[in-house]
Amino acid sequence: MANRILVALKGEAKGFFRAKSTVFWTIAFPLLLILLFGAIFSNTGAGKVDLYVQDLSDSQTSHSFVQHIAAIDSVNLIEINKTIDLDQYIKDHSPTAVLVIPANFAQAFVPGAGLNTTTLLVRLDPTQQSASAVYSIVNGFAEQANLAIAGGTNVITTARGDITNTQFNYIDFFIPGVIALTTMTTTAFWMVSVMTRYRNNGIFKKLTTTPITRAEWLASQILWQLVVVFISVGVIIIVGMLAFNTHMTLNAVAIVTIILSSAAFSSMGMIIARFIHDEESASAAANAITFPMMFLAGIFFPASQFPSWLASVANVLPLTYVGNALRDSMVYNNMSSAVGNMLVVAVFAIILFVAGVLLSKWKTE
Amino acid sequence: MSDTVIEVEGLVKRYGDFTAVDGINFTVNAGEVFSLLGPNGAGKTTTVEIMECLRTLTGGTVHILGMDVTKDALKIKNRIGVLPQDFNAFDLLTVKENIEYFGGMFDRQLPADDLIKAMDLTDKRDEYFKNLSGGLKQRTGVAISMVNDPEIIFLDEPTTGLDPRARRDVWAVVKSLRERGKTVILTTHYMEEAEVLSDRLGIIDHGKFIALGTPRQIIDTHGTGSRCIISNCDNSCSTALKGQWPTLESKGGDIIIRLENKNALPEIIYALDRSGGNYDQIQVTRPTLEDVFLALTGKKLAAEETESNDGKKKRSKRRGD
Repeated sequence: MANRILVALKGEAKGFFRAKSTVFWTIAFPLLLILLFGAIFSNTGAGKVDLYVQDLSDSQTSHSFVQHIAAIDSVNLIEINKTIDLDQYIKDHSPTAVLVIPANFAQAFVPGAGLNTTTLLVRLDPTQQSASAVYSIVNGFAEQANLAIAGGTNVITTARGDITNTQFNYIDFFIPGVIALTTMTTTAFWMVSVMTRYRNNGIFKKLTTTPITRAEWLASQILWQLVVVFISVGVIIIVGMLAFNTHMTLNAVAIVTIILSSAAFSSMGMIIARFIHDEESASAAANAITFPMMFLAGIFFPASQFPSWLASVANVLPLTYVGNALRDSMVYNNMSSAVGNMLVVAVFAIILFVAGVLLSKWKTE
Repeated sequence: MSDTVIEVEGLVKRYGDFTAVDGINFTVNAGEVFSLLGPNGAGKTTTVEIMECLRTLTGGTVHILGMDVTKDALKIKNRIGVLPQDFNAFDLLTVKENIEYFGGMFDRQLPADDLIKAMDLTDKRDEYFKNLSGGLKQRTGVAISMVNDPEIIFLDEPTTGLDPRARRDVWAVVKSLRERGKTVILTTHYMEEAEVLSDRLGIIDHGKFIALGTPRQIIDTHGTGSRCIISNCDNSCSTALKGQWPTLESKGGDIIIRLENKNALPEIIYALDRSGGNYDQIQVTRPTLEDVFLALTGKKLAAEETESNDGKKKRSKRRGD
């Protein structure tokens, strides 16, 4: 049995690598997405810079400080309520620059109180060009204030923090999404195309005359798809590192999620191919299902930014959980949430696989 | 050589209301080439696919090498070779790789190179399957169907859609299989093919055998006897013949006379000679299976290509249901 699965897998592998254009597009599609979206969202260009400010001091001094910054033309200032958990806020809103005014900010301005130093924290997305401008602006203000208060003594310092240290910027959000997307498109389209093609050109017929069983054949296809998916994932991670300086860890939860997702979407492909027999219509149907899912599952934009009705659509899509599990495990390092999402993916995988095996009969009556 | 390797008894297959196979009985002996002959949709493919354990049966029993198709499908599959109708292999694998791929599915496997040599494919060994001509693809298919060293080989319409040369090519392959002592089950809607290749054959129509035996037996039993054709008869010739054989047919200038007994031919020649008239030549034709089929069913067997394509469409549609 294992031998038959291996033989079938090897056969697919040889055929795959000989179809050069298939290899190219399988690998190139996610890369194009990353490079395209990465480029669009990494350079928001000249325009105005969004500066998020969380004023923990909430004093008259800090208010006037904020107003001064807000007066700058190129800065679009957005205040974050001091009661809000900043890390969560960053995850939800993907800002490129956040200024944190410390609680002891006002004390630095108390005349004659000696040197109550205070530190402004500017957290930036280093991949955004506009971010360094924000730092210069804030730093400039701090120096002016130092001059005014203490004659040049550094009462107010500016610390530069990294938003990526809190594990979030667009590309970090995006790359696990693209990996999730790849597990879906690669496997679903492969399965649809292979099953309709083999059924129509008679290869299934020939296979049924041999002792290989349907389950063995499906296993060989899913295993082969895992190989392709992991090649893609490897390339995506390497390109992410080289082009956008991302740091992802491919840990056990992420790997298991990728495997489960590939199984789930292979099975989805099997089900589509079961009902639509001709190759072109079947792949059009696969498109019709995967394309909206790509946008609704929060691959390109966080589902938390969606209006609530759209977010509830996202909640029933398997791809949403794949993306969440991968982001939680690879980027946010939030393992308990990752495992939760992974289990949802597992449930989807089991349901789809069982349905796929039961429905996809290759034996005729 | 008279071991029975296939036993089909009262085989029935229904799809809903439609009866595809309607109580067929036959046996095949080891080393025989047995053909199922019939028009498209007659039930040939359904019958062989039940024997190959690809389809379930509705009634009757089928034993292959002593094993019941409803119980020992996997064991049977390991011991038979099948070239399905409209056979295809993997486009981007070579001839050798394809043979090895399918070989890997069986419990036992012959070396691909031996089969390549046996099927005279040595030149094409490392050619991608998609680059082969129709005849070479079929030869590769036969090589693949022999990969598990089967005792019985099923060839389901192996020459349909091939050009005449490729068709002859496949015939040679079938003959070589017979020489190797393989039992071959062949389905075809080409008479000539069945007549040339088979030891025995069954003509099937509407799911039933309408004739079963050696080609010779069938022609002798159901045939209409030999006919004599005298081409380009002049008036005195035809008048003389008409006087003696009032039932003769005339087509253009040709006259066709059924030879009812062995004296008929000398009598015709004598009559022609005596009439003193002119004619081009005398020709005697033996009836073919085509004539038998026509006589038995009132329709032609090897229908026009377009018609057979239609038949195919219908069948594949039904198969998809």
